[in-house]
Amino acid sequence: MRRKLPSFVLVVLFALATAGVAAASNGGFTPVTPESPNASHTQTAYYVILGFTSAIFVLVEGLLVAFIWKYRARGRARAIEGAQVHGHTRLELIWTVIPVVILCLIGLVVFVELPKINDAPAANDAIPITVVGHQYYWEFEYPGGARSIGTLHVPVGRVVDLNVVSPDVIHSWWIPALGGKIQAIPGRTNHIWFKAEKAGSYEGQCAELCGVYHAAMTAVVQVESQQAYSSYISTTARQTIGRQEWTGVCATCHGNLGKGGYGPDISASTLVTSRSSLLGILREGVDTPGRPGAMPPVGIDWNNAQIDAIVTYVKKNIYKPAPLGGTSGG
Amino acid sequence: MAARSEAVYPVGWKSGRVASWLVTVDHKRIGILYIATSIMWFVAGGILALLMRSQLATPNEHFLTKDSYNQVMTMHGTTMIFLVVVPIMAGFGNFLVPLMIGARDMAFPRLNALSYWLYLLGGIVLWLSWFSKGGAAHAGWWSYPTLSENFPWASPGHGQDYWILSIHILTLSSLAGAINLIVTISNMRAPGMSWMRMPLFVWAMETYAILLLLALPALSAAVTLLLLDRTAGTHFFIPPEGNIVLYQHMFWFFGHPEVYIMVLPVFGMISEILPVFSRKPIFGYKAVAFSTIGIAFFSMLVWAHHMFTAGLGVGLDSFFMISSMVIAVPTGIKIFNWLATTWRGNLILDTPMLFALGFIGLFTMGGLSGIFLAAFPVDWQVNDSYYIVAHFHYVAFGGIVFGLFGGLHYWWPKMFGRMLDERLGKLTFWLMFVGFNLTFIPQHMLGLLGMPRRVYTYNHHGLWEVYNLLSSIGGGITALGIAAFVANIWIAHVLRRGVRAGNDPWLADTLEWYTTSPPPPHNFDTVPYVTSARPLRDLRRRLAEQPQ
Repeated sequence: MRRKLPSFVLVVLFALATAGVAAASNGGFTPVTPESPNASHTQTAYYVILGFTSAIFVLVEGLLVAFIWKYRARGRARAIEGAQVHGHTRLELIWTVIPVVILCLIGLVVFVELPKINDAPAANDAIPITVVGHQYYWEFEYPGGARSIGTLHVPVGRVVDLNVVSPDVIHSWWIPALGGKIQAIPGRTNHIWFKAEKAGSYEGQCAELCGVYHAAMTAVVQVESQQAYSSYISTTARQTIGRQEWTGVCATCHGNLGKGGYGPDISASTLVTSRSSLLGILREGVDTPGRPGAMPPVGIDWNNAQIDAIVTYVKKNIYKPAPLGGTSGG
Repeated sequence: MAARSEAVYPVGWKSGRVASWLVTVDHKRIGILYIATSIMWFVAGGILALLMRSQLATPNEHFLTKDSYNQVMTMHGTTMIFLVVVPIMAGFGNFLVPLMIGARDMAFPRLNALSYWLYLLGGIVLWLSWFSKGGAAHAGWWSYPTLSENFPWASPGHGQDYWILSIHILTLSSLAGAINLIVTISNMRAPGMSWMRMPLFVWAMETYAILLLLALPALSAAVTLLLLDRTAGTHFFIPPEGNIVLYQHMFWFFGHPEVYIMVLPVFGMISEILPVFSRKPIFGYKAVAFSTIGIAFFSMLVWAHHMFTAGLGVGLDSFFMISSMVIAVPTGIKIFNWLATTWRGNLILDTPMLFALGFIGLFTMGGLSGIFLAAFPVDWQVNDSYYIVAHFHYVAFGGIVFGLFGGLHYWWPKMFGRMLDERLGKLTFWLMFVGFNLTFIPQHMLGLLGMPRRVYTYNHHGLWEVYNLLSSIGGGITALGIAAFVANIWIAHVLRRGVRAGNDPWLADTLEWYTTSPPPPHNFDTVPYVTSARPLRDLRRRLAEQPQ
């Protein structure tokens, strides 16, 4: 124990230092500040469990340290025996029953909070949105057919019902401030909801390994006024979809200017200016035999408007003699 | 046990220094081969971990490529689980079980040798897959389809095929080993050693073996179907015909018992070490023994808590939350009994004891963070983030590896006849203790801040940067601890500075300390009649009471 002291001081100092850093920016010891009712109730359940587990933690670690301190040999010979106690039935019962009670309490709290976390509040004006996880981007389809990539636009204060799907591999939708995560599993439709209470933008990223660019698969939920949302899905989304597709899908591997990165330089390729050849690449992907990271069929579910938009965008902005200062999108 | 007619001492070329190890059917040598091979892969898997921590030390790092990161991550997990923890338990089981129950060898010595060589082969297959077309498998250690399927954009090349082949070989190895352990423990115990007088480590190994038999076939089936998908054009896990969630169920039906397959033997080691270094009997022998069985039973009923984010529905989620919480009860019973074992003891704080006490402290932390994960609405928030990476490393490293290091230091003199140096041992412990906590405490926070697991890089600053850097520094300190352990072995054996150990350097309780260190090929000349769970203490007392 004498030897244990310095490192205990170290651990305590470390804990204090991290607590200070974390408290300063409200991050690290609890999930990020919730901005949706389901996230708030998750937070409540988290605090309840934190309360119980902290108490148990202090009890067990406290007893451990106290016993080590009190009963350490202090130079007594190995041959000297401790108290030959073989057990105690009542104690066994106590430390069986008390954990059962604590776990029942935790379970009770979870079941009380569950409906408020799992079930979207009944609302006539809930917005159904389809979230499609792709290698390596999120695509959103709004009521009325508008689509966006990477950024989900929603109005403040409305219930948003997400149908989460995937055409390729498993992804996992997760915006920490707006509730938990749900996997996007090929062949299945999963559901999750949120109701953002404040305007702002909330970040998250794919939480299930989905391939080489798993780490690049970020998502932003842009919470804005009803008016801004309406105008976004009626006009802005359609006007900007070509650029969104380039920056959110193609540029990840081919670079912002198409000069190559993980994927090849395509800025001078005639394949990308012909609608039919580009369509084939987007729908089927490109095989590079034996090498991981072949081009996935990124546009497998794109509609005609999306295909037209990317062809137009590429012709106008990417297919041209190489400019100076091309950057890779790695 | 019936005497075997085979020559005890090998003849001719078989007695050569190397050849005698290649042809050995001696459980002690096979056990040592298992342990040595596992430690080699522990170091290799640890180097992979350091590569990952180097890549993640700062944002937008380019130390590893994204391709190789996913391979390194997959190989780290697969290596640590299948090539280190499960087989090292088989190694300890092999070495210790016959000695602890007073037997001459395992029930099937040749099958035992086959188990080891299959294990070595499985490991070599896995590690040679680095050089296969397309590199090693990169779909994570649980290899979820469709990322593990043979699509050009998923897992083309042969890394995934070698991964499957390796799992099959390792599964055969483990099944043969498990049958051997069960038969040995059931039939070959010393006279007087009833089930209630068996060392708790033997209880744990029996349960480990039964769990292996129950859980591994599900894994074999899952990876066989995956192999058929990859090579024979079936669609078991490819929608719309196939079902990916089916693979998740099959994998975790194996995967969760696997956690207990790995941790129960360590529980057994702790239950051996704590009493010896507390100079007391284990507190609540029956409670500790039966809680082992309780944990094993419930471990078969909790698998889908790994799948809470797959959208199974609240009905199933609720069942698996409750079963997962139930398993906390027998685990808690063990922790409290271990604490009570130290109560009013004469605690000898040698290296094995430090690791055992460290195990209690760290495993408790891993168990408590698991309660957050069992509560599925909270799991929806923290699952698949760095929080869970922190959680299972508190179980797998803070728990299992610390327990194993306790066991290594404790039984080292019995295995090799020399003591390891105490000062270096304590240095090993403190470096590992500080390094481990520094690595994994900050990862809880990273997960709560929103950092998903298995990302090869991140583009966040502030707290993400601080915590990741601290975690990487901790990884380096932990590696120094392992280096101190290797140095300790070097000094004791290569430089021959290790003090010769007598039969029983720790004044221990169980039969393996009755024979010489290291034991002769036939283990025991005579085995005393066992009258309690502590036959050696009984013997010491009887000797002390005799006149003269």
